Amino acid sequence: MSPDARMESHEEVERESPAPKALPSPGRRWRLELREPPPPLVGRALGVLAVAVVVLAWGLLTMGATPETRLISPVLLPSPMEVIRAVPSLLERDLLAGVFATLERVFLGFGLAVLVGVPLGILAGAWRVFDAASAPMAIFGRNIPIAALIPMTILWFGIDETQKVMFIFIACIPFVFSDAVVALTGVHQRYVETAQTLGASDGQVVRKVLVPLAMPDIFNSLRNLFGLAFGYIMLAELINARHGLGYLLSTSQRRGLIEHIILILVLIGALAFVIDRGLLWFQRGLFPFRASEE
Amino acid sequence: MNGAHPPVVEFEKVTKIYGGSHLAIKEVSFSVEDKAGHGEFVAILGPSGCGKSTVLRLIAGLRPQHPATTGSVRVLGQPVVGPGADRGMVFQDYTSFDHRTVEDNVAFGLECRGMGRKERLALAREWIGKVGLSVDSDAGKFPHQLSGGMRQRVAIARTLILNPRIILMDEPFGALDPSTRMHMQDLLVGLWRDLQATVFFVTHSIEEAVYLGDRIYVMSSPPGTILRELSVPPPDRPAHLMQREPSFLSVVFELRDLLEGLEASTERER
Repeated sequence: MSPDARMESHEEVERESPAPKALPSPGRRWRLELREPPPPLVGRALGVLAVAVVVLAWGLLTMGATPETRLISPVLLPSPMEVIRAVPSLLERDLLAGVFATLERVFLGFGLAVLVGVPLGILAGAWRVFDAASAPMAIFGRNIPIAALIPMTILWFGIDETQKVMFIFIACIPFVFSDAVVALTGVHQRYVETAQTLGASDGQVVRKVLVPLAMPDIFNSLRNLFGLAFGYIMLAELINARHGLGYLLSTSQRRGLIEHIILILVLIGALAFVIDRGLLWFQRGLFPFRASEE
Repeated sequence: MNGAHPPVVEFEKVTKIYGGSHLAIKEVSFSVEDKAGHGEFVAILGPSGCGKSTVLRLIAGLRPQHPATTGSVRVLGQPVVGPGADRGMVFQDYTSFDHRTVEDNVAFGLECRGMGRKERLALAREWIGKVGLSVDSDAGKFPHQLSGGMRQRVAIARTLILNPRIILMDEPFGALDPSTRMHMQDLLVGLWRDLQATVFFVTHSIEEAVYLGDRIYVMSSPPGTILRELSVPPPDRPAHLMQREPSFLSVVFELRDLLEGLEASTERER
Protein backbone atom coordinates (compact mmCIF):
# COMPACT_ATOMS: atom_id res chain seq x y z
CA MET A 1 0.00 0.00 0.00
CA SER A 2 1.38 3.38 -0.91
CA PRO A 3 1.65 6.20 1.64
CA ASP A 4 -0.78 8.27 -0.41
CA ALA A 5 -3.45 5.61 -0.16
CA ARG A 6 -3.09 5.48 3.61
CA MET A 7 -3.26 9.25 3.94
CA GLU A 8 -6.47 9.65 2.02
CA SER A 9 -8.52 8.26 4.84
CA HIS A 10 -7.46 11.13 7.08
CA GLU A 11 -9.13 14.51 7.38
CA GLU A 12 -6.01 16.55 6.75
CA VAL A 13 -4.82 15.30 3.41
CA GLU A 14 -1.82 17.25 2.26
CA ARG A 15 -2.88 19.32 -0.67
CA GLU A 16 0.35 19.27 -2.61
CA SER A 17 0.49 15.46 -2.62
CA PRO A 18 0.56 14.47 -6.28
CA ALA A 19 -2.49 12.75 -7.64
CA PRO A 20 -1.81 9.13 -8.57
CA LYS A 21 -0.71 9.00 -12.19
CA ALA A 22 -3.53 7.28 -14.00
CA LEU A 23 -3.06 5.56 -17.30
CA PRO A 24 -4.51 7.67 -20.10
CA SER A 25 -8.18 7.02 -20.54
CA PRO A 26 -9.14 5.23 -23.79
CA GLY A 27 -10.54 8.44 -25.21
CA ARG A 28 -7.34 10.44 -24.63
CA ARG A 29 -4.30 8.97 -26.34
CA TRP A 30 -0.81 9.71 -25.21
CA ARG A 31 0.90 12.34 -27.35
CA LEU A 32 4.44 13.45 -27.84
CA GLU A 33 4.67 16.24 -25.27
CA LEU A 34 7.69 18.07 -23.95
CA ARG A 35 9.04 16.27 -20.81
CA GLU A 36 6.00 14.06 -20.57
CA PRO A 37 6.99 10.43 -19.85
CA PRO A 38 5.19 7.75 -21.86
CA PRO A 39 2.92 5.32 -19.97
CA PRO A 40 5.03 2.64 -18.19
CA LEU A 41 4.09 -0.21 -20.54
CA VAL A 42 4.76 1.88 -23.64
CA GLY A 43 8.07 2.94 -22.12
CA ARG A 44 9.17 -0.67 -21.57
CA ALA A 45 8.01 -1.68 -25.05
CA LEU A 46 10.06 1.17 -26.54
CA GLY A 47 13.15 -0.06 -24.70
CA VAL A 48 12.69 -3.62 -25.97
CA LEU A 49 12.00 -2.32 -29.48
CA ALA A 50 15.22 -0.29 -29.50
CA VAL A 51 17.25 -3.38 -28.50
CA ALA A 52 15.49 -5.37 -31.21
CA VAL A 53 16.41 -2.72 -33.78
CA VAL A 54 20.09 -2.88 -32.77
CA VAL A 55 20.10 -6.71 -32.93
CA LEU A 56 18.36 -6.60 -36.30
CA ALA A 57 20.91 -4.13 -37.64
CA TRP A 58 23.65 -6.34 -36.24
CA GLY A 59 22.09 -9.35 -38.02
CA LEU A 60 21.82 -7.50 -41.33
CA LEU A 61 25.41 -6.25 -41.18
CA THR A 62 26.70 -9.77 -40.51
CA MET A 63 24.48 -11.64 -42.99
CA GLY A 64 26.04 -13.79 -45.68
CA ALA A 65 27.01 -17.39 -46.39
CA THR A 66 30.73 -16.70 -46.64
CA PRO A 67 32.90 -14.09 -44.90
CA GLU A 68 33.49 -12.36 -48.27
CA THR A 69 29.79 -11.61 -48.82
CA ARG A 70 29.33 -9.99 -45.38
CA LEU A 71 29.34 -6.22 -44.90
CA ILE A 72 31.45 -6.64 -41.75
CA SER A 73 34.08 -9.34 -41.47
CA PRO A 74 33.32 -12.08 -38.87
CA VAL A 75 36.74 -11.41 -37.36
CA LEU A 76 35.46 -7.97 -36.30
CA LEU A 77 31.82 -8.83 -35.65
CA PRO A 78 30.30 -12.32 -35.70
CA SER A 79 26.59 -12.77 -36.36
CA PRO A 80 24.12 -13.00 -33.45
CA MET A 81 23.64 -16.73 -34.07
CA GLU A 82 27.39 -17.37 -34.02
CA VAL A 83 27.59 -15.60 -30.66
CA ILE A 84 24.78 -17.73 -29.22
CA ARG A 85 26.39 -20.90 -30.56
CA ALA A 86 29.58 -19.95 -28.69
CA VAL A 87 27.86 -20.17 -25.26
CA PRO A 88 28.82 -23.84 -24.59
CA SER A 89 32.46 -23.23 -25.45
CA LEU A 90 32.56 -20.24 -23.12
CA LEU A 91 31.03 -22.29 -20.29
CA GLU A 92 33.79 -24.85 -20.87
CA ARG A 93 36.33 -22.14 -20.09
CA ASP A 94 35.21 -22.15 -16.45
CA LEU A 95 32.93 -19.16 -16.85
CA LEU A 96 31.12 -19.73 -13.56
CA ALA A 97 34.37 -19.94 -11.59
CA GLY A 98 35.39 -16.71 -13.30
CA VAL A 99 32.16 -14.97 -12.31
CA PHE A 100 32.58 -16.04 -8.69
CA ALA A 101 36.23 -15.05 -8.59
CA THR A 102 35.36 -11.57 -9.85
CA LEU A 103 32.41 -11.13 -7.49
CA GLU A 104 34.44 -12.33 -4.52
CA ARG A 105 37.17 -9.76 -5.19
CA VAL A 106 34.67 -6.93 -5.57
CA PHE A 107 32.69 -7.88 -2.49
CA LEU A 108 35.82 -8.25 -0.36
CA GLY A 109 37.50 -5.06 -1.55
CA PHE A 110 34.36 -2.97 -1.55
CA GLY A 111 33.11 -4.45 1.73
CA LEU A 112 36.39 -3.50 3.35
CA ALA A 113 36.11 0.03 1.93
CA VAL A 114 32.60 0.30 3.41
CA LEU A 115 33.65 -1.05 6.81
CA VAL A 116 36.47 1.47 7.08
CA GLY A 117 35.16 4.38 4.99
CA VAL A 118 31.63 4.75 6.34
CA PRO A 119 32.55 4.99 10.05
CA LEU A 120 35.36 7.43 9.22
CA GLY A 121 32.94 9.45 7.07
CA ILE A 122 30.39 9.54 9.89
CA LEU A 123 33.09 10.75 12.26
CA ALA A 124 34.19 13.48 9.84
CA GLY A 125 30.62 14.47 9.02
CA ALA A 126 29.70 14.83 12.67
CA TRP A 127 32.88 16.51 13.89
CA ARG A 128 34.02 18.74 11.08
CA VAL A 129 37.60 19.08 12.35
CA PHE A 130 38.18 15.52 11.07
CA ASP A 131 36.63 16.53 7.77
CA ALA A 132 38.98 19.52 7.50
CA ALA A 133 41.95 17.32 8.37
CA SER A 134 41.06 14.59 5.85
CA ALA A 135 39.91 16.83 3.00
CA PRO A 136 43.28 17.11 1.16
CA MET A 137 43.84 13.34 1.29
CA ALA A 138 40.29 12.59 0.19
CA ILE A 139 40.58 14.98 -2.76
CA PHE A 140 43.88 13.38 -3.76
CA GLY A 141 42.39 9.89 -3.47
CA ARG A 142 39.36 10.74 -5.56
CA ASN A 143 41.35 12.37 -8.31
CA ILE A 144 44.21 9.93 -8.79
CA PRO A 145 43.63 7.96 -12.02
CA ILE A 146 42.62 4.49 -10.89
CA ALA A 147 44.86 2.60 -13.31
CA ALA A 148 47.84 4.45 -11.86
CA LEU A 149 47.37 2.55 -8.61
CA ILE A 150 48.01 -0.83 -10.20
CA PRO A 151 51.84 -0.74 -10.28
CA MET A 152 52.02 0.32 -6.66
CA THR A 153 49.54 -2.27 -5.44
CA ILE A 154 51.52 -4.96 -7.29
CA LEU A 155 54.72 -3.87 -5.55
CA TRP A 156 52.98 -3.80 -2.18
CA PHE A 157 50.70 -6.79 -2.36
CA GLY A 158 52.14 -9.03 -5.09
CA ILE A 159 50.11 -10.32 -7.98
CA ASP A 160 47.72 -12.59 -6.11
CA GLU A 161 44.26 -12.12 -4.69
CA THR A 162 45.44 -9.68 -2.02
CA GLN A 163 46.50 -7.23 -4.70
CA LYS A 164 43.10 -7.38 -6.44
CA VAL A 165 41.19 -6.88 -3.20
CA MET A 166 43.46 -4.11 -1.94
CA PHE A 167 43.31 -2.37 -5.31
CA ILE A 168 39.51 -2.21 -5.06
CA PHE A 169 39.76 -1.12 -1.43
CA ILE A 170 42.23 1.70 -2.11
CA ALA A 171 40.37 2.81 -5.25
CA CYS A 172 36.96 2.93 -3.52
CA ILE A 173 37.63 4.19 -0.01
CA PRO A 174 38.07 7.90 -0.88
CA PHE A 175 34.67 7.88 -2.61
CA VAL A 176 32.94 5.90 0.14
CA PHE A 177 34.39 8.22 2.77
CA SER A 178 33.51 11.44 0.94
CA ASP A 179 29.96 10.32 0.18
CA ALA A 180 29.39 9.42 3.82
CA VAL A 181 30.64 12.88 4.83
CA VAL A 182 28.33 14.53 2.30
CA ALA A 183 25.37 12.45 3.52
CA LEU A 184 26.03 13.41 7.14
CA THR A 185 26.50 17.10 6.45
CA GLY A 186 23.41 17.02 4.23
CA VAL A 187 21.15 16.30 7.21
CA HIS A 188 19.38 19.56 8.00
CA GLN A 189 20.71 21.36 11.05
CA ARG A 190 17.13 21.74 12.32
CA TYR A 191 17.07 18.04 13.24
CA VAL A 192 20.19 18.48 15.33
CA GLU A 193 18.79 21.58 17.03
CA THR A 194 15.49 19.84 17.72
CA ALA A 195 17.31 16.90 19.31
CA GLN A 196 19.49 19.22 21.39
CA THR A 197 16.51 21.13 22.76
CA LEU A 198 15.01 17.75 23.70
CA GLY A 199 18.07 17.06 25.80
CA ALA A 200 20.14 14.84 23.49
CA SER A 201 23.88 14.73 24.11
CA ASP A 202 26.37 15.00 21.21
CA GLY A 203 26.74 11.22 21.09
CA GLN A 204 22.97 10.76 21.10
CA VAL A 205 22.55 13.30 18.30
CA VAL A 206 25.04 11.35 16.17
CA ARG A 207 23.60 7.89 16.98
CA LYS A 208 19.90 8.67 17.08
CA VAL A 209 19.58 11.49 14.54
CA LEU A 210 22.51 12.10 12.18
CA VAL A 211 23.42 8.51 11.31
CA PRO A 212 19.88 7.16 10.82
CA LEU A 213 18.85 10.19 8.76
CA ALA A 214 22.01 9.99 6.62
CA MET A 215 21.77 6.21 6.11
CA PRO A 216 19.44 6.25 3.08
CA ASP A 217 21.79 8.66 1.28
CA ILE A 218 24.83 6.64 2.30
CA PHE A 219 23.24 3.43 1.08
CA ASN A 220 22.20 5.06 -2.16
CA SER A 221 25.71 6.28 -2.87
CA LEU A 222 27.16 2.87 -1.95
CA ARG A 223 24.88 1.32 -4.54
CA ASN A 224 26.28 3.64 -7.19
CA LEU A 225 29.85 3.17 -5.99
CA PHE A 226 29.47 -0.60 -6.16
CA GLY A 227 28.98 -0.19 -9.90
CA LEU A 228 32.25 1.73 -9.94
CA ALA A 229 34.05 -1.04 -8.04
CA PHE A 230 32.70 -3.57 -10.50
CA GLY A 231 34.28 -1.52 -13.28
CA TYR A 232 37.62 -1.26 -11.48
CA ILE A 233 37.97 -4.99 -10.96
CA MET A 234 37.95 -5.57 -14.73
CA LEU A 235 40.94 -3.27 -14.94
CA ALA A 236 42.83 -5.22 -12.27
CA GLU A 237 41.95 -8.53 -13.89
CA LEU A 238 43.00 -7.43 -17.36
CA ILE A 239 46.53 -6.81 -16.19
CA ASN A 240 47.40 -9.78 -14.04
CA ALA A 241 45.05 -12.58 -13.14
CA ARG A 242 44.59 -16.34 -13.30
CA HIS A 243 40.81 -16.26 -13.46
CA GLY A 244 37.89 -13.85 -13.36
CA LEU A 245 35.82 -12.12 -16.00
CA GLY A 246 38.53 -9.60 -16.84
CA TYR A 247 41.01 -12.45 -17.29
CA LEU A 248 38.56 -14.25 -19.60
CA LEU A 249 38.15 -11.03 -21.60
CA SER A 250 41.87 -10.53 -22.11
CA THR A 251 42.55 -14.17 -23.05
CA SER A 252 39.58 -14.08 -25.47
CA GLN A 253 41.14 -11.07 -27.11
CA ARG A 254 44.51 -12.79 -27.44
CA ARG A 255 42.90 -15.90 -28.93
CA GLY A 256 40.61 -13.90 -31.24
CA LEU A 257 37.41 -15.22 -29.62
CA ILE A 258 35.25 -12.21 -30.34
CA GLU A 259 32.06 -14.22 -29.69
CA HIS A 260 33.24 -14.77 -26.12
CA ILE A 261 34.05 -11.10 -25.65
CA ILE A 262 30.54 -10.12 -26.70
CA LEU A 263 28.99 -12.74 -24.42
CA ILE A 264 31.06 -11.64 -21.42
CA LEU A 265 30.15 -7.98 -21.98
CA VAL A 266 26.46 -8.87 -22.03
CA LEU A 267 26.95 -10.98 -18.91
CA ILE A 268 28.72 -8.12 -17.07
CA GLY A 269 25.83 -5.78 -17.89
CA ALA A 270 23.29 -8.33 -16.70
CA LEU A 271 25.20 -9.02 -13.47
CA ALA A 272 25.52 -5.32 -12.67
CA PHE A 273 21.79 -4.86 -13.28
CA VAL A 274 20.77 -7.81 -11.10
CA ILE A 275 23.03 -6.68 -8.24
CA ASP A 276 21.74 -3.12 -8.44
CA ARG A 277 18.08 -4.24 -8.36
CA GLY A 278 18.86 -6.56 -5.45
CA LEU A 279 20.45 -3.74 -3.47
CA LEU A 280 17.54 -1.43 -4.32
CA TRP A 281 15.04 -4.00 -3.09
CA PHE A 282 17.04 -4.39 0.11
CA GLN A 283 17.24 -0.61 0.50
CA ARG A 284 13.47 -0.18 0.22
CA GLY A 285 12.92 -2.70 3.00
CA LEU A 286 15.64 -1.12 5.13
CA PHE A 287 14.34 2.46 4.98
CA PRO A 288 10.54 2.28 4.94
CA PHE A 289 10.35 5.95 5.89
CA ARG A 290 11.84 7.17 2.68
CA ALA A 291 11.08 6.48 -0.94
CA SER A 292 14.38 5.47 -2.53
CA GLU A 293 15.60 7.02 -5.71
CA GLU A 294 16.04 4.76 -8.68
CA MET B 1 18.64 39.97 40.98
CA ASN B 2 16.18 39.00 43.70
CA GLY B 3 17.54 35.77 45.17
CA ALA B 4 14.39 33.70 45.77
CA HIS B 5 12.58 34.22 42.48
CA PRO B 6 14.87 35.23 39.66
CA PRO B 7 13.09 36.07 36.37
CA VAL B 8 12.34 33.12 34.10
CA VAL B 9 14.16 34.84 31.27
CA GLU B 10 16.15 38.02 31.53
CA PHE B 11 17.90 39.84 28.68
CA GLU B 12 20.25 42.59 29.70
CA LYS B 13 21.40 44.86 26.88
CA VAL B 14 21.91 41.89 24.58
CA THR B 15 23.58 42.64 21.25
CA LYS B 16 24.45 40.11 18.56
CA ILE B 17 26.81 40.89 15.70
CA TYR B 18 27.58 38.33 12.98
CA GLY B 19 30.72 38.21 10.94
CA GLY B 20 32.10 41.29 12.65
CA SER B 21 29.65 43.72 11.04
CA HIS B 22 26.07 42.49 10.63
CA LEU B 23 24.05 43.72 13.58
CA ALA B 24 21.14 41.34 14.25
CA ILE B 25 19.79 42.67 17.53
CA LYS B 26 20.85 45.72 19.46
CA GLU B 27 20.69 46.20 23.22
CA VAL B 28 17.62 44.07 23.77
CA SER B 29 16.50 44.13 27.39
CA PHE B 30 13.48 42.50 28.92
CA SER B 31 12.57 40.39 31.87
CA VAL B 32 9.78 37.86 32.23
CA GLU B 33 8.91 37.27 35.86
CA ASP B 34 8.33 33.87 37.35
CA LYS B 35 4.72 34.07 38.47
CA ALA B 36 3.74 31.44 40.98
CA GLY B 37 1.46 28.76 39.55
CA HIS B 38 1.36 29.83 35.94
CA GLY B 39 3.69 30.85 33.17
CA GLU B 40 3.27 33.69 30.77
CA PHE B 41 2.61 33.51 27.07
CA VAL B 42 4.93 35.98 25.36
CA ALA B 43 4.37 36.65 21.69
CA ILE B 44 7.16 38.31 19.72
CA LEU B 45 6.12 40.31 16.66
CA GLY B 46 8.15 42.32 14.23
CA PRO B 47 9.02 43.02 10.60
CA SER B 48 11.00 40.36 8.74
CA GLY B 49 14.66 40.22 9.64
CA CYS B 50 14.22 42.10 12.92
CA GLY B 51 15.87 39.37 14.96
CA LYS B 52 12.79 37.69 16.46
CA SER B 53 14.31 34.27 15.93
CA THR B 54 17.63 35.49 17.24
CA VAL B 55 16.00 36.25 20.60
CA LEU B 56 14.46 32.78 20.70
CA ARG B 57 17.64 31.00 19.73
CA LEU B 58 19.63 32.94 22.33
CA ILE B 59 17.26 31.61 24.99
CA ALA B 60 17.60 28.11 23.54
CA GLY B 61 21.40 28.41 23.44
CA LEU B 62 21.63 27.49 19.76
CA ARG B 63 24.54 28.51 17.57
CA PRO B 64 25.42 30.71 15.76
CA GLN B 65 23.12 33.16 17.58
CA HIS B 66 24.44 31.87 20.91
CA PRO B 67 26.51 33.24 22.55
CA ALA B 68 25.53 36.91 22.52
CA THR B 69 28.22 39.35 21.45
CA THR B 70 27.61 41.60 24.47
CA GLY B 71 25.11 41.61 27.29
CA SER B 72 23.74 38.71 29.27
CA VAL B 73 21.02 36.12 28.68
CA ARG B 74 19.83 34.49 31.91
CA VAL B 75 17.32 31.74 32.46
CA LEU B 76 16.14 31.43 36.08
CA GLY B 77 19.13 33.49 37.11
CA GLN B 78 21.67 31.28 35.39
CA PRO B 79 23.52 32.33 32.22
CA VAL B 80 22.60 30.21 29.20
CA VAL B 81 25.52 27.97 28.21
CA GLY B 82 23.91 25.74 25.57
CA PRO B 83 20.73 23.93 24.56
CA GLY B 84 18.87 21.74 27.02
CA ALA B 85 15.58 19.95 27.60
CA ASP B 86 14.42 22.62 30.08
CA ARG B 87 13.95 24.92 27.08
CA GLY B 88 12.01 22.94 24.49
CA MET B 89 11.80 24.35 20.99
CA VAL B 90 9.24 23.85 18.22
CA PHE B 91 10.29 24.90 14.73
CA GLN B 92 8.30 25.59 11.59
CA ASP B 93 9.93 23.05 9.27
CA TYR B 94 11.94 19.81 9.37
CA THR B 95 10.19 19.16 12.65
CA SER B 96 9.82 15.37 12.67
CA PHE B 97 12.58 12.78 12.75
CA ASP B 98 11.69 11.09 9.47
CA HIS B 99 13.13 7.72 10.47
CA ARG B 100 11.03 7.42 13.61
CA THR B 101 7.38 6.57 13.95
CA VAL B 102 5.06 9.07 15.63
CA GLU B 103 5.37 7.39 19.03
CA ASP B 104 9.16 7.14 18.78
CA ASN B 105 9.28 10.81 17.79
CA VAL B 106 7.22 11.81 20.80
CA ALA B 107 9.30 9.59 23.12
CA PHE B 108 12.64 10.90 21.80
CA GLY B 109 13.49 13.14 24.76
CA LEU B 110 12.52 10.46 27.29
CA GLU B 111 14.68 7.98 25.40
CA CYS B 112 17.63 10.38 25.68
CA ARG B 113 17.03 10.55 29.42
CA GLY B 114 17.34 6.78 29.57
CA MET B 115 13.72 5.95 30.37
CA GLY B 116 12.76 2.34 29.58
CA ARG B 117 10.97 1.57 26.33
CA LYS B 118 7.70 0.39 27.83
CA GLU B 119 7.38 3.32 30.19
CA ARG B 120 8.24 5.98 27.62
CA LEU B 121 5.94 4.58 24.95
CA ALA B 122 3.03 4.55 27.40
CA LEU B 123 3.68 8.22 28.13
CA ALA B 124 4.09 8.97 24.43
CA ARG B 125 0.72 7.41 23.61
CA GLU B 126 -0.89 9.52 26.32
CA TRP B 127 0.52 12.64 24.69
CA ILE B 128 -0.39 11.54 21.19
CA GLY B 129 -3.99 11.53 22.40
CA LYS B 130 -3.61 14.89 24.12
CA VAL B 131 -2.54 16.64 20.93
CA GLY B 132 -5.52 15.27 19.05
CA LEU B 133 -3.91 12.42 17.12
CA SER B 134 -5.27 8.90 17.11
CA VAL B 135 -3.31 6.51 19.33
CA ASP B 136 -4.51 3.50 17.36
CA SER B 137 -4.03 4.67 13.80
CA ASP B 138 -1.34 7.39 14.02
CA ALA B 139 1.14 6.14 16.65
CA GLY B 140 2.86 3.73 14.26
CA LYS B 141 2.94 6.04 11.24
CA PHE B 142 6.05 7.64 9.83
CA PRO B 143 6.12 11.45 9.43
CA HIS B 144 5.90 11.31 5.62
CA GLN B 145 2.44 9.78 6.04
CA LEU B 146 1.23 12.82 8.00
CA SER B 147 -0.04 16.24 6.90
CA GLY B 148 1.74 19.43 7.95
CA GLY B 149 -0.71 20.06 10.78
CA MET B 150 -0.33 16.55 12.13
CA ARG B 151 3.45 16.83 12.06
CA GLN B 152 3.21 20.01 14.15
CA ARG B 153 1.04 18.13 16.65
CA VAL B 154 3.79 15.52 16.92
CA ALA B 155 6.40 18.24 17.46
CA ILE B 156 4.31 19.87 20.18
CA ALA B 157 3.71 16.55 21.96
CA ARG B 158 7.42 15.70 21.73
CA THR B 159 8.35 18.98 23.42
CA LEU B 160 5.61 19.12 26.06
CA ILE B 161 6.08 15.50 27.19
CA LEU B 162 9.35 16.62 28.80
CA ASN B 163 7.50 19.22 30.87
CA PRO B 164 9.95 22.02 30.00
CA ARG B 165 10.06 25.18 32.07
CA ILE B 166 10.23 27.27 28.91
CA ILE B 167 8.71 26.51 25.52
CA LEU B 168 10.17 28.30 22.51
CA MET B 169 8.11 28.34 19.34
CA ASP B 170 9.55 29.77 16.13
CA GLU B 171 6.60 30.41 13.80
CA PRO B 172 5.37 26.87 14.38
CA PHE B 173 2.13 27.37 12.46
CA GLY B 174 3.57 29.57 9.71
CA ALA B 175 3.28 26.92 7.00
CA LEU B 176 -0.29 25.82 7.83
CA ASP B 177 -3.48 26.90 6.11
CA PRO B 178 -5.67 29.38 8.05
CA SER B 179 -8.25 26.93 9.38
CA THR B 180 -5.68 24.33 10.49
CA ARG B 181 -3.80 27.21 12.07
CA MET B 182 -6.77 28.21 14.23
CA HIS B 183 -7.26 24.59 15.32
CA MET B 184 -3.62 24.46 16.36
CA GLN B 185 -3.92 27.75 18.27
CA ASP B 186 -6.85 26.38 20.25
CA LEU B 187 -4.97 23.14 20.88
CA LEU B 188 -1.97 25.07 22.17
CA VAL B 189 -4.10 27.23 24.47
CA GLY B 190 -5.75 24.10 25.90
CA LEU B 191 -2.48 22.29 26.53
CA TRP B 192 -0.58 25.27 27.85
CA ARG B 193 -3.10 25.98 30.64
CA ASP B 194 -2.14 22.73 32.35
CA LEU B 195 1.58 23.18 31.96
CA GLN B 196 2.66 26.26 33.89
CA ALA B 197 5.41 26.82 31.37
CA THR B 198 6.48 30.16 30.00
CA VAL B 199 5.99 30.27 26.25
CA PHE B 200 7.90 32.45 23.82
CA PHE B 201 6.10 32.48 20.51
CA VAL B 202 7.57 34.16 17.43
CA THR B 203 5.08 34.91 14.69
CA HIS B 204 4.42 36.99 11.62
CA SER B 205 0.70 36.91 12.24
CA ILE B 206 -0.64 39.81 14.29
CA GLU B 207 -3.91 37.96 14.96
CA GLU B 208 -2.00 34.97 16.27
CA ALA B 209 0.08 37.13 18.59
CA VAL B 210 -2.89 39.04 19.94
CA TYR B 211 -4.93 35.89 20.38
CA LEU B 212 -2.33 33.69 22.05
CA GLY B 213 -0.28 36.24 23.95
CA ASP B 214 -0.60 37.55 27.48
CA ARG B 215 2.09 39.93 26.52
CA ILE B 216 3.37 41.08 23.14
CA TYR B 217 6.84 42.35 22.36
CA VAL B 218 7.00 44.38 19.18
CA MET B 219 10.47 44.46 17.72
CA SER B 220 11.75 47.29 15.53
CA SER B 221 13.17 47.07 12.04
CA PRO B 222 16.75 45.77 11.86
CA PRO B 223 18.86 45.98 13.88
CA GLY B 224 16.18 44.61 16.15
CA THR B 225 15.35 46.03 19.50
CA ILE B 226 12.19 45.87 21.57
CA LEU B 227 10.11 48.87 20.60
CA ARG B 228 6.92 48.26 22.47
CA GLU B 229 5.51 45.96 25.03
CA LEU B 230 1.79 45.52 25.61
CA SER B 231 -0.48 43.28 27.61
CA VAL B 232 -3.51 41.74 25.95
CA PRO B 233 -6.41 39.69 27.33
CA PRO B 234 -5.79 35.95 27.51
CA PRO B 235 -7.49 33.64 25.00
CA ASP B 236 -10.59 32.55 26.87
CA ARG B 237 -12.73 31.76 23.83
CA PRO B 238 -12.06 29.67 20.71
CA ALA B 239 -9.94 31.40 18.07
CA HIS B 240 -12.65 31.73 15.43
CA LEU B 241 -14.96 33.53 17.89
CA MET B 242 -12.49 35.76 19.67
CA GLN B 243 -10.66 36.79 16.53
CA ARG B 244 -13.72 38.59 15.11
CA GLU B 245 -14.63 40.66 18.15
CA PRO B 246 -14.28 44.47 17.79
CA SER B 247 -12.01 44.86 20.84
CA PHE B 248 -9.73 42.13 19.48
CA LEU B 249 -9.68 43.69 16.02
CA SER B 250 -8.89 47.17 17.30
CA VAL B 251 -5.71 45.86 18.94
CA VAL B 252 -4.82 44.04 15.73
CA PHE B 253 -5.32 47.18 13.61
CA GLU B 254 -3.30 49.30 16.01
CA LEU B 255 -0.42 46.85 15.80
CA ARG B 256 -0.75 46.57 12.04
CA ASP B 257 -0.34 50.34 11.65
CA LEU B 258 2.70 50.26 13.89
CA LEU B 259 4.31 47.40 11.97
CA GLU B 260 3.56 48.88 8.57
CA GLY B 261 5.26 52.06 9.70
CA LEU B 262 8.29 50.00 10.72
CA GLU B 263 8.42 48.10 7.40
CA ALA B 264 8.20 51.41 5.50
CA SER B 265 11.05 52.96 7.47
CA THR B 266 13.17 49.85 6.79
CA GLU B 267 12.51 50.20 3.07
CA ARG B 268 13.60 53.85 3.15
CA GLU B 269 16.84 52.99 4.92
CA ARG B 270 17.65 50.46 2.21
